[in-house]
Amino acid sequence: MSTAHVHNPDLTAPTVVKTIGQRSLVVGVIFSVIAVVGASAQPTVFFRGYLLGFMAWMGVALGSMAVLMLRHMTGGGWGMVIRRIMGAAMRTLPFMALLFVPILFGLPRLYVWARPLESITDKHLREHLQEITKSYLTVNGFILRAIVYFAIWNALSFLLTKWSREQDRPGGRDNSARFKAVSGPGLILYGLTISFAAIDWVMSLDPSWISTIYGLLVLAGQVLSAICFAVVVERILVRYRPMSEMLKPDYVHDHGKLMLTFVMVWAYFEFSQWLIIWAGNLPEEITWYMRRLNGGWGYIGLFLVVFHFAVPFVLLLSRPFKRDVTRLVWLAIWLIVMRYLDIFWNIEPNFSNTLTVTWADVVVPIAMGGLWLAYFFRNLGSMPLLPAYDLDAKEILEPAHE
Amino acid sequence: MSPDGLEKTAVEARPPVLAPGHTYASITDKISSIVLLQKTKRGWWFGFAVAFTLFMVLNFAVGYLMLMGVGIWGINIPIAWGFAIVNFVWWIGIGHAGTLISAFLLLMRQAWRQSINRFAEAMTLFAVASAGMFPLLHMGRPWLFYWLMPYPDTMGTWPQFRSPLVWDVFAVSTYGTISLLFWFVGLLPDLATLRDRASNRLAQITYGFLAMGWRGSARHWQRYEMAYLLLAGLATPLVVSVHTVVSFDFTIAVVPGWHSTIFPPYFVAGAIYSGFAMVLTLAIPLRQFYGLEDFITLRHLENMAKILLATGLIVAYGYVMETFMAFYSGSTYDRSMIMNRMTGPYAPVYWLLITGNIAIPLTALWSAKIRRNVAALFVISLIVQMGMWLERFVIVVTSLHRDFMPSAWGMYYPTIWDWATFAGSIGLFLTLFFLFIRFLPMISIFEMRGLVHQVKEEKA
Repeated sequence: MSTAHVHNPDLTAPTVVKTIGQRSLVVGVIFSVIAVVGASAQPTVFFRGYLLGFMAWMGVALGSMAVLMLRHMTGGGWGMVIRRIMGAAMRTLPFMALLFVPILFGLPRLYVWARPLESITDKHLREHLQEITKSYLTVNGFILRAIVYFAIWNALSFLLTKWSREQDRPGGRDNSARFKAVSGPGLILYGLTISFAAIDWVMSLDPSWISTIYGLLVLAGQVLSAICFAVVVERILVRYRPMSEMLKPDYVHDHGKLMLTFVMVWAYFEFSQWLIIWAGNLPEEITWYMRRLNGGWGYIGLFLVVFHFAVPFVLLLSRPFKRDVTRLVWLAIWLIVMRYLDIFWNIEPNFSNTLTVTWADVVVPIAMGGLWLAYFFRNLGSMPLLPAYDLDAKEILEPAHE
Repeated sequence: MSPDGLEKTAVEARPPVLAPGHTYASITDKISSIVLLQKTKRGWWFGFAVAFTLFMVLNFAVGYLMLMGVGIWGINIPIAWGFAIVNFVWWIGIGHAGTLISAFLLLMRQAWRQSINRFAEAMTLFAVASAGMFPLLHMGRPWLFYWLMPYPDTMGTWPQFRSPLVWDVFAVSTYGTISLLFWFVGLLPDLATLRDRASNRLAQITYGFLAMGWRGSARHWQRYEMAYLLLAGLATPLVVSVHTVVSFDFTIAVVPGWHSTIFPPYFVAGAIYSGFAMVLTLAIPLRQFYGLEDFITLRHLENMAKILLATGLIVAYGYVMETFMAFYSGSTYDRSMIMNRMTGPYAPVYWLLITGNIAIPLTALWSAKIRRNVAALFVISLIVQMGMWLERFVIVVTSLHRDFMPSAWGMYYPTIWDWATFAGSIGLFLTLFFLFIRFLPMISIFEMRGLVHQVKEEKA
C-alpha cells in the first residue's frame, strides 16, 4: 500500500507535555495532602468541596467525549486538530470513576435523602422524602445507577480509543463508519446518562426541587468546559511542532464559534429555567432560587450573568478575536473558572443560607485538578497528536492554501 | 479521491447536491420555464381546485364565526384553548424550518440549502399567515385586534407586558415581517430574470415592477449580498425566540403539564421537527411533478431526514424528562397529569402521538436506506406532522381538562366548525403555495447558478 503522506512529519506530542504533567502531579499531591488533613478535621466541609471539584473536572472529561463524538458525526478539520486532546481528556474517565468512590462515603453528609428520616426536622421535607427514598433516591439505587453511567461512558471511551489507535499505523481500514455507528447512539446515551447523573449527583441535593431542563443545562456546561479546555491545551501545544503546523486560524475560528454557541446555549437554558420558575412562583420551585439570590449568593448569580454570559458573548462576536488563539485562550481560561463558579453556585447554597467559601471549595478542586491534569498529560503524550492514517488527517497536514 | 487505497465508501456514495451536467443556461431555462413557458399542468389545476375549495371552507367557517361568536367551537371552561391554539402552535412551528434553512444554514455555509430555500421560505410565510389568524379568531372580536398593541388611547387600555400572550404579538409580527423581507429580497435577482425573459407584456410589467430596477451590476450584487447576510443574521435568532415565546404561553402558567422548564428548547426542536417534515411533504411531490430531481437530489432528502432524526430525538428526550420528573417530584398533580395522559379519556390521542412522533419515525429514519427512499420519506413526513399536531393537542387539551380540582374538570369535543377551520387553514396554506409555484420561481435561479460554479471549482 502506497502512503499518501509523502512527508510524514513527527506527530508525537512535544516533551513539554511531560513537564506540565509532572508539575501538575506535584501540585496535585501537595494539595491532596492538605485536603486529606483537612478532611480528617472537617469531613463535612471536605465532602462539599469534593463534590464541587468532582463535577467541575467531570465536566471537562465527559464534555470532551461528547465533542469528540460530535466530530465523528459531522467531520471537519476543527475537530480533527483537537481530536487527540479530547481523546486524552476522555481517557481520564476510569480515573473519574475512581474519584467517584469517596463520594459514597460522604452520602449522608451531602444528601439529605441519605440520612435517616427521623433525623429530618422539617415536616414537609420528611413527608416528601417518605416515598421517594423508598423508590428512587436510595443508596443502593444511587450506587447502581452510577455503575451504569460509568460503565456506559468507559465503554464508549474504550471503543473510540481503540479504533483511533488503529489509525496511527498504516494499513488499517477506514474507521469513519465505525466511529459514526458508535457516536450516534453514543451521543444519545451521553444525553440521557448525564441528565440522570445530574439529577442524582447535584439536583437531589435539594430533593424537593425539580427542573426538567436541568440535565440539558449541565450538558451544555460540560460541552462548553471541554471546548474551552481544548483551546487552552492547543494554545500550549501550538508553540511546538507538530501543533504549530496543524493549527490554522480557520480551526481556531471554529473553536471560537463553538464557544460562542455554547455560551449562548447555556445562557438560553439558564434564562428559560429562571423565567419559568420566577413566573410560576411555586413554593417547591422558587425556594431554589430564593436561596441562590439571597444571603450574598445573589452576587455570584449576578456575576455569572455578566461574566459567564454578557462579557464573553460580546468578546466572542469579534472575528479577529476568535481567530487568534493567543487571545482566545484567555477567555477560555476565564470561562473554565466561570464553569467552576457556576457549579459552586449550584451546589454550595444547599448547605448554607449565606455566602460562604470554605477551604475545601478551593483546595479540593485544585488537588483533584492537579491529579487529573497529570493523568491527562500522560494520556496526551502516549499517542501521536494526530491519527496520521485517518483520511481526514490529510487536510490538516497540508500546508494552508491562504 | 483515494490514492492511498483506503476505502472512502461512505463519502463517495453520497448523492451530489446538484446532478452533473448542468450549466448556467440549463438551470435558468429549466426553472424559469415552469413559470413563463410551460402550460399550466392539469395536475396543478386539480391541486389548486382542492386547495381553493378548502380555502372557501375556511371563509365560510370564519364568516359564521363572526356571526355567531366562538361558542360555535367546542371550547368551554376549563378548556378555553381548543383547536385554535393547537393549530396556531402547529403552523408557527412548521414555519420555523423555512427560516432555519434559509437563514441558519446560510450562516453555516451549507451549500445544499440553495435548492430548497426559496420554497421553504414561501412555506414559512404562508404558515405564519395561517398561524397568525388563529389567535385573532380566538379573541372572539378579531376586529379589535389592535388593542394588543401598546398605543395611547382614550380608553386607558394598555397591554399587560408580563403576559407572554403580549410577547407573542411582538414575536409573531416580527417574525412575519422578517420572513417576508427575507423572502422578497432573495427573490429580487430572479424577478429580474423573469422580467427579462417574459414575452407577455403584463408579465414584463409585473415582474419588472417587483424587481425594483435590478440590473445585476456589481454594486447591486455587493449590496444585495450584504443585505441578505444581515437579514439572515436577524432571522436566525427568531427561529429560537419565536417558539420559545410560544412555549412561555404555557410554561408561565402553573398548570401541571404546562409548567415545565424544558419546554423552550423542546418546543423549538419540535417546531423544527414538524417544519422539516412539511418541507419534505412539499419537496417530494414538487420534484416529481416538475422534474426537478436534478436540483432537489437524494442528498437533500437525506440531509433533511437526518435533521428530522436529530430534532425528533430531542423531542423524545423532552417526553422522557417530563414523565420521569412527574414521578420524581412526588407531586400528586404532576403524577396524575401524566397518568391521565397515558390512561385517561384522551389516552388514544397520547399513544397515537407517541407512535407518530417517536415509535415510527425515530426507528425508521435510523436506517440510511429509508432516508434515501423517497416514498418512505413522504409517508414518514406526513406521520410526523400528524404526531406534532397531536402533541400540541395533548399539551393544550389534556393539561387543561383536569387540573387541580376534580369539580372543575371537563371535556373538550371539537365541533364541525373546529374541524372546518383547521381544514380551511390547510386550504389557505396550499392555495397560497399553489399560486407561488405557478407565478414565482420555486427554486432560486441565481443561487443554483452559483452552485454550478461551486461544484466546478470543487472538481478542479
